[in-house]
Amino acid sequence: MFDLLKLACDKAAQAGCQFADARFLSIQKQRVVSRDHALSSCSDSEDRGFGVRVLCRGAWGFASSPTYTAAEIEKVVALALRIARASALAPRADGVKWAPEPALKLEYKSACRQDPFAVALEDKADLLIAANEVMLRNSAVMRAQGFLSFKRVQRWYANTEGAEMHSDVTSSESAIWAIAVGNGDFQERNWKAPATTQGFESYRKAEFLEQAERVADEAEQKLTAKLAPEGYFDIVTDSENLSLTIHESVGHATELDRVMGYEVSMAGSSFVSRDKMGEFRYGSDQVTLVADNTLENGLATQGFDDDGVPGQRWEIVRDGIFQTYSTGREFAHYIGEERSRGSCRADHWSSIPIVRIPNLFLMPGKAPLSPDELIADVRHGLYFEGMDSFSIDQWRLNFQFGGNAVWEIKNGRKAGMLKAALYQSRTPTFWNACDATCDASHWQAHGVTNCGKGDPMQIAQMTHGAAPTRFRNIRICRGRDS
Amino acid sequence: MNRQQAQDLIASILEIPHDGELQVTLNGVERLGTRFNDCAVSQNVLRQQATLTLGARLGQKKTSMTINALDAPDLIRQSVARVFETCRHMPDDEEVMPAPGQVLDSHEFAYSETAEAIEIETVGAWAAEACKAGAAAAIDLAGLLSVGKMFTAYGDSAGGFAHERHHRCDYHVTASGDHGSGWAEHQGVSIAAADVVTATERAIDKCARAQNPEVFEPRSTTVILEPQAVGDLMAMAFFYGFDQRARDEGRSAFSDNDRPLGRLSFYSDPADSAFPAVSFNGDGQPLAKSTWLDQGRLQQLTTSRYWASKQGIDVKPSPNNIILSGDGVPLEQLIAGTEDGILVTRFWYIRSTDAKTLGFTGMTRDGTYRIENGKLTHPVVDMRWNESVLRLLNNVAGSGAPVATGEFIAMAMPALRVEDFHFTSLSN
Repeated sequence: MFDLLKLACDKAAQAGCQFADARFLSIQKQRVVSRDHALSSCSDSEDRGFGVRVLCRGAWGFASSPTYTAAEIEKVVALALRIARASALAPRADGVKWAPEPALKLEYKSACRQDPFAVALEDKADLLIAANEVMLRNSAVMRAQGFLSFKRVQRWYANTEGAEMHSDVTSSESAIWAIAVGNGDFQERNWKAPATTQGFESYRKAEFLEQAERVADEAEQKLTAKLAPEGYFDIVTDSENLSLTIHESVGHATELDRVMGYEVSMAGSSFVSRDKMGEFRYGSDQVTLVADNTLENGLATQGFDDDGVPGQRWEIVRDGIFQTYSTGREFAHYIGEERSRGSCRADHWSSIPIVRIPNLFLMPGKAPLSPDELIADVRHGLYFEGMDSFSIDQWRLNFQFGGNAVWEIKNGRKAGMLKAALYQSRTPTFWNACDATCDASHWQAHGVTNCGKGDPMQIAQMTHGAAPTRFRNIRICRGRDS
Repeated sequence: MNRQQAQDLIASILEIPHDGELQVTLNGVERLGTRFNDCAVSQNVLRQQATLTLGARLGQKKTSMTINALDAPDLIRQSVARVFETCRHMPDDEEVMPAPGQVLDSHEFAYSETAEAIEIETVGAWAAEACKAGAAAAIDLAGLLSVGKMFTAYGDSAGGFAHERHHRCDYHVTASGDHGSGWAEHQGVSIAAADVVTATERAIDKCARAQNPEVFEPRSTTVILEPQAVGDLMAMAFFYGFDQRARDEGRSAFSDNDRPLGRLSFYSDPADSAFPAVSFNGDGQPLAKSTWLDQGRLQQLTTSRYWASKQGIDVKPSPNNIILSGDGVPLEQLIAGTEDGILVTRFWYIRSTDAKTLGFTGMTRDGTYRIENGKLTHPVVDMRWNESVLRLLNNVAGSGAPVATGEFIAMAMPALRVEDFHFTSLSN
């Protein structure tokens, strides 16, 4: 497999490129969707192809093709060179400074014990439909749905520096949800089995059935829940809810390409300017946020990135102080770092790599602390569980998030459910309001599989994690008029 | 791929022995894309892709399989066998419908000779000219210039066939100064050098007028939303609310709710002159003009073939474009007629806050200005808003002419003057 990739690199080098790399990807996907007592779809796909990236006279060119032959390699390299010449019409004044990296030979395979593509469709149907039937036993539930989604990406990478790398990563994702109708309203409640780079072994039918009963019950409860109060309250977030807040307010904010203006026209920039490194108080001293592209079963754990840099672990925020960014080889020099953090990924063989959020998580508290104890110290507040409405500005400052289920906290205990609750804050204000997070025994990871960035849009996946965490005096508003 | 080539390929696939009904969909794209920031090209990409989707139906069982090789007969034969093998293992679903089996005329409303002739070098040269204009104005420019040359074809073993070539051109540009930014776009099935120049100049002008914004204390006020802001919001509303089955089952903002929504019309039409689209959907069904709101009065919403047959109503397939009518009032006149309000260039990161009321939240971005006594007086700090589309449509107090917008779905939207719009918090 490497021979043709090396041919592409050789051709680019012969044409005078200062750097070139080539990737071949084989992508297999399956998505099984259930609706009530049936499967509404089963979609399989297989997709193969390669992309060649060249850096010539300070300008990038990229071309790709699904046809993997020597003749096509030569054609695509020529096309990439032609595109690089077109790029050179508006060159970067200071050129491209490409961080050095040893030419490694790497092999990486994710820990998938039960190949999801080999599992019988009947077993998948049984899992999803059985969960739906449990949800439909609740008479308030009008629609029960679910899905199983699997992806296997085999990737071969070579570059002009001599790197040869291969990865084989399978990832799995599933969710079920119920829509209840009544009381002049309709409400949705879901449960997501955390997306990981494990296989079908991570799905247990008993857990689906147990969650289905709870999901249906809480969907019904949401119908008669009272509208959320407005004002300033203490809030407690579960690990899934906070995972999305970490993603939006820390992950994207600390992508260095955004800071350098590369995403201004689409995803935006970031308030985390370079002068904040090592000094800026991002959060309270309870807040340590760690990036780790070696995290076991993490969705961004792929052995190496699409710049040919091995996965690494680093601190983005330590004890509340901002440390450093996620980078790729093109960006490390902007912050005086000699090596890329290895967080540059493409979503397809026809896409160019861009800096992506790594696996990123909030470290659990060091002292023993349970969710009940966390809530016990809230006189009047809200408890947010799961992901719902999420929106953040283009500087990653002003955000507003909801929860898939929200409870009122009264006198240190969870009380009734609330409707249309949203918390709205600014990133540093929010993270500085964090006064406690539960200990490691309550820490959970949650996969994000739909992270959009780039222009044209690319979709990436990564894992976040947290233990239930408390924030003081956060603004609560409503998504529905009273 | 032209019509004859598509027809020949689909015919050859349909000839592969199979048990039940086979649907074949071909999609091909060649997309030239130049991305730039800081007045320099950062990415220059040519993406060439083609996919073949095989849909197998055996009675009430249905599955699909997609591959990206159109010129690999052995792989296609194996894939046909595989998709039917998977289909045999599907449980029955009463909602599975037979293939439509219709031969459709090729309208190619969204085909452009001009776009077809654009080469990589042309895209690069136009982007370079935009970068030079930014450098001359001492303003950072960032944007994307993209030209997509596409075809879509459909065929089924019930005799159905459809094919169209189509184009999609997207130029959007953000001009950034030290203390504010401006944005503009050109969307459509075609693009010329002059379109790039016009949008670039508009973004630079917006940026110049956006420097040093002042705080407008967030509250309910009159807004003028430019077409992109209207389009992004209406696209989300359409996605969340305009399904007939959800309405009938009590899962929609329009369940038990026939109240008029203002007086504008909201419709889809592949032949729309502002932003035409492919005239059939991925299931081989023809798309005619469909009206969702007729002068504010709710009509039958998107309806699948299954739901139409169950309810005894017309099929209304999901469309390929959406259009909001307008009264054709120029933006300058909308501003001149506003005593006190806010002009919004663009919305960002819109998300649902409440499906029952079609409530959404989002941010203003890249050019937000105060209007006082009919004039733009100064830029304001960007704001978050929370607003119901049901309320918004009832609060429209003026509108422009629909223009092409929408990066993800083809749309034609007017600027709107809306009373009592809810800003809730400040951004940066």
